[in-house]
Parts: sequence; structure tokens; C-alpha cells
Amino acid sequence: MSAPSRAVAPSGRRAGARTRRLRSLGRALCVLLAAAFAAAGQPAAERLTIISPEGRRLLPTVTIGGRTMVALTELMEPFGLRPGTDRRPGRLTLLRGTAVMVLTADDGIVSAAGRLESLSAPPLERGGEWYVPIDFIGRALPLVADRPVELRARSGLVILGDVRVPQVVARYRRTGRQEGRLRLMVTPGLEPRIEQAADRLLVSFDADALDLAPGDSPSDDLFRRVVADAGRARLAVELGEAFGSFDAASTPALAGSLDVVIELRPAAAARAVPAAPEPIPAAGTEADAPLPILTDLATPATVRAVAIDPGHGGDDAGTRGPEGTLEKDVTLGVALRLQAAIQRRLGLRVVLTRSGDTAVTLDERAAIANNNRADLFVSLHANASARETAAGAEVFHLNPAGYGDAGAPPGGGAAIPTVGGGTRVLDIVRWERAQIRFAERSAIWARTVAEELAARLPMSPRGVQQAPLRVLVGANMPAVLVEMGFISNPDQEARLASPGFQDAVVDGLLSSIIRYRDMAEQGFPDVDPLDSEPPPDGAETAGRRFP
Amino acid sequence: MSARTWLTKAGFGAFALGGAWVLFAGLPRWYPAERTAAPTGVAVDESTAGTLTVATLFHVSDDGMRLVGSPVRLARRANPTAQARAIIEAQLAEPPAPLRSPIPAGTTLRAVYLTEDGDAFVDFSAEIMLGHAGGSREELFTVYAVVNALILNLAAVDAVQILVDGVEVDTLAGHVDLQRPLPQNLDLLEAPGDAWTPSEDAPADPELSS
Repeated sequence: MSAPSRAVAPSGRRAGARTRRLRSLGRALCVLLAAAFAAAGQPAAERLTIISPEGRRLLPTVTIGGRTMVALTELMEPFGLRPGTDRRPGRLTLLRGTAVMVLTADDGIVSAAGRLESLSAPPLERGGEWYVPIDFIGRALPLVADRPVELRARSGLVILGDVRVPQVVARYRRTGRQEGRLRLMVTPGLEPRIEQAADRLLVSFDADALDLAPGDSPSDDLFRRVVADAGRARLAVELGEAFGSFDAASTPALAGSLDVVIELRPAAAARAVPAAPEPIPAAGTEADAPLPILTDLATPATVRAVAIDPGHGGDDAGTRGPEGTLEKDVTLGVALRLQAAIQRRLGLRVVLTRSGDTAVTLDERAAIANNNRADLFVSLHANASARETAAGAEVFHLNPAGYGDAGAPPGGGAAIPTVGGGTRVLDIVRWERAQIRFAERSAIWARTVAEELAARLPMSPRGVQQAPLRVLVGANMPAVLVEMGFISNPDQEARLASPGFQDAVVDGLLSSIIRYRDMAEQGFPDVDPLDSEPPPDGAETAGRRFP
Repeated sequence: MSARTWLTKAGFGAFALGGAWVLFAGLPRWYPAERTAAPTGVAVDESTAGTLTVATLFHVSDDGMRLVGSPVRLARRANPTAQARAIIEAQLAEPPAPLRSPIPAGTTLRAVYLTEDGDAFVDFSAEIMLGHAGGSREELFTVYAVVNALILNLAAVDAVQILVDGVEVDTLAGHVDLQRPLPQNLDLLEAPGDAWTPSEDAPADPELSS
């Protein structure tokens, strides 16, 4: 039997967005796997592999106190680190070019290039050898390295520099009595080459390595499992004894991905009806449901930039307190404090939608955040009520009812001709649909903010709410609007203008950014995006009418 | 002064008086002005034989935390558009204490349009924006008092879009999206705190250094 070989349609888009989005997809898929590993007391990866343009090298890890650690000596040469001259006990100084990194034994905060970064566990000194948790690679090393450093803990990969490591999420479903369908969501959407070799299908990519999330698909007489081919950008689909033939097709998906569908057919069916196409199951079945990469998985797997939107400004003063305090001044004051705190304490990039007393339209504010590729959006406001006793902070996220179905393709891709022939598929997301793709993440972000604020400020009984707020509609990232307090309340008016209160708001937001970033990196609790279905449009209020 | 000059002046005077009478008294009498619909939005069709219907209007509760539904009796209208006008007119009126109107004082209704798709367009005067105190809370109350009053009382209305001075607006005060018809929102009617409770260790009102 000759080995059929099929090339499927390529799709080129922005590598950064693709990487972030599929990384998120992979992470979500592996939440259960990771939990299973954790329950068994095993680390997610026994060892790490550094992949760089120079090649691969293994990075051994050790388990100390139940945590996966790596010896610092193993990191010195690959990352160009050299020891500093500070020899004080319990301290270690490392140099990388002109950048300085300081580690303190048993302290989970590392100083790198003037910024403080928290680690999941403190560095340890054992017999003159220093050990750091593996998230040190993803958090601290990027601050001093001269090229991108990315840790993919689940697949045990450390990506150093400009290398191509597409992420692949696999899911298999039975589609009929005899047929099955394997779907691969590839990000970035690289063209796979599929060949049959004995009892397996080999799916190869023109890349340096592969980051595979094999999923928890059931095995049957057509399909056994998907395994990564160690050391190559190739995966193997192990086939069952009934397998006879396959057929592959692919379509560009949004978020820069390629949706590869491999239909698996039994040998008998292939002989009996060689020309008849297999009936396609009715739309809406589980196997045909779109992989949720378009909705919940488009968030990056960490937070690198935060957009802060000081509400109102310029001619629009917002609301006004009884003593004349203007909302636009309070929001700008808190925004500038928050900007400084994020930059100083987290080392993240901050995007301000206004930095002075200027008028900015609501859609412009979201556009500024989108164009600057912010990963989180927070709009700051002060509330008002005709009842001057009303008090407390409130956090809003967008109510998606009425903005369309989040599960449907947001707008489709547009094929743009490229120089030298071929086309390039670009995402087109309708403005009104931008935020609903992040509905679940925004809900988590809102709850996190509310919980952190509640530990520091008086909260309104309506702590977290959903509303159709215009400034959130076009935000292409998890987004919330925070009403910090009621400026119409004389007591709260004085506090809103005070440095102590503003610092408490900043502290709460800073903690919520850290918590959200940790969730983004380590997996969101109790959320499995592959199983989540967006609520139907207007479902929330359907059927609720007054008699 | 000669008699000729007197006659000339008297003639001009008589002509001016006649012209003034024609302009200010004659013409209005000969061509009476057509009565135009008052911009207060009084329903143009007749109520159906004096029958009444009960409609639920929405006002801000005494504590300012939620919308409260209050039943009122309105004349039943055969025309849904006229009924919608009557409901909004009633919604604009000041409620009995301790309830408070969520719509800024001085706001008038310019027009109501219903579409066959179940969308209602309610056109208010600019006071609804100019007189608004701001803040998400008050803006939500203003918008959803109008939206809920039409959707919950009229089966023909599924969504409501608010216009100001006849044109679409982004928001009333910088928060709630008015670029499309809005579905009802019943969450604002519920007692707050049902859906979300702060952490147990949350301070009720901490003394913050300031």
C-alpha cells in the first residue's frame, strides 16, 4: 500500500498571537492531565529541553520538597550568565551583559535588571549549589536575556530565541458506527504533511519542535492515541486494528490557527464504498462543534501588558462630588499611581488610554489597548447616586447578551494576496464581537479584582455585575470597569481624593493582576474551555417576563 | 406746517395702522394656524372606550440600590405605539416618595417608534444627557427603567434603543452602550448582594490612612 501524502492549506499570521493563543489552548486541555500528575506526586515534566537556533540540549531537573527545581549551574552557559562578585552568604549575584540578577536563599522574590519578580518557590542553596523553581526560567530570565525566553512547563520545553514550536491540540471523536474523526488545532497554522506508515499516521511540520497537547480522547478500534515524536516536529497517530484509510482536510481558523480534520475509516468500509463520500454528521454534534480556540483560548498564557483607562477626561468631567471633586481627576490620579506600581513592582508594560486631562472617546480607549496589545484592561471610574448614603466599590464586566453568539466565527478570515504569490489569511473580528470572545476570562478577571478590592475597601452590595458598558465592548482582551466608590457620598468623596484610599485601590488591583497572571500561567481553576459552551444570545433573561 | 403736509402724514398713518391690523389680526383670523401635536407626547389615538390597563413603571428604591416596579393604571390604547408613549410619559412623571425617578428632571419624550421586529426606539430630549448626574449605577437605572418599562409591559417589544434629540448616541453619561437596542435587565430589580458576597474577611469600612 502506497503511503498517501497530503499537504493541507497553509495559513500565515502573526506568530506572537498564534503562540499565545494555542499555548492557552494547550494549557486548558492539560488542566486535567496536570491535576492527575499532581495527584500522583509527579512533576509535569521529568526534564526540560532547551530549543534554540543552535539546537537542542537537555536541562536536567531535580525534585526537592515536592517541587521541580533546576540547578543554576545548568542555566549559566545556555543563558550566558556569569557569577557576580557579591559573595555574601545566602545571596547570589548573577550577571548577564550589564544586567544584574540577585537571588536570596529562601526568599521567593528575585531582583532582575532592577525589577522584582516573584517565584512559585524560593531558591535553595544545598551544599554550595543553588536550585531555582523552573518558573524562574519563564519569569526572571526573560528580564535579563538578550533574546526571547519562553517556558512551556507542560511539554517540558524552554524556547530560546527565534525558533518555531507550533502547539498542537488533538481531539478524537467517534462520528459514526464505524468512522472516527481526529481534529488537530495547530497554532501557528503551519502546513502539516500526513503520511501513513504501517499502523500509524505521521503528521510532520516544518518547525523546530512540537508542543503537543494530546488531550484525553478515548481509544477504540480505529484510533489508539496521539504521541509526540521526541526530538522532531512530528507527531504519530497510533491506529487501531480496524483502520483502513483516512482523508485529511484543513481550514484556517481564527486566532492564527489551522484546523486539521483527519477522517478515519475502517478497512471494510473503504473497500465496500470506495467512491461514496462518508455522510457528514449533522452540524451541532459534539465532534463537529468548533474547537473553542476562537473564544476562550485566545488569551495569552501570561500577562505582559496592562491597559489602564482613566475614565472621562477633558470636557467630560464625569460625575462630581458635593465638595466639587471631579471623577476625571480621581480616575487619572489612581491610574498614574497604578501605572507606577505595575512598572516598579511587576515589571509589566503599561498602556494608558490618557495620561492627561484630555477627552478620549470610549471606542478609542479600547482601540488604544488593542493596538498596544494589552493582555488585561481595567477602566477606572467613580460612581454616583442621588442617595448620598450609597457607598462601596463595584466591578463590571460586559454582559454579552445582544452582541451575538460567541461561539460563531466572529467575522471570518480574509485572504490577502502576498508578494510572490499565495495568500495570507488575516483575522477580522467585528468590533462588537471583540469582547464577547473573552466573556469567561473577563468574568474571572472581574471576580479576582472584586475579591482583592474587598479585602481593602468597602464594597457595594453589588460587588460584581454584568452590564453593556461601551468602553468594554471593543476590548480584545479580558476587561473590567471598576467603580472605586461613590463620589456622591461626602465621606467617600474625601476618601477617593486621598492618597491612602488611592493606594489601597492600587494595591488591590496590583494583587489581582498577580493572581490573574498566575492563573493564566498555571491554568484557570474549574474551567475546561474545551467543554465550555457560550450562553445563547439573551439566554440570561429569556423567559423572564412580568405576568 | 401746511395742510398738504398734514394730509400726507395722516394718509401714511392710516395706511400703517391698516397694515398692522392686517398683519397681526386679519391674517391670523383668515388663516388660522393648524394645531400641531404637542411635543409632550400625548397619545394621538383615542383610548378604547375608557378601559384601563395596569402597567409596571420602574423607579429607584429608597436606598438607591435597585429599581422598584410600581403598578399604575393607564388608559388602554388600541395602538401599541400609543400605548408605548403613554407608558413612557407615565415613567417620566415623578413617583410618590420615597421612590425617585431615575430619569433626569426636565426630560421630555419626543417620539416613540416600534418596528415589526420587536425593537422600540424612544427619542428623548437632550435633558436626559445634560441633566444626568453620571456614574454607572445611575446610568444603568435610567436606561433600564425605560427599557424594562416597555419590554415588560408590551408584548410587541423585545428590545429598546434610546435616542436623544432624534439621533443615536454612544451613551448617556459615558457608560451604558446605546448603539443598539437593549434587552431587558431584571438583575437591577433584585435586592443587591444575592449574586455576589464579598469575602468573609472583608472589612465593612476600614479606616484608611489618608
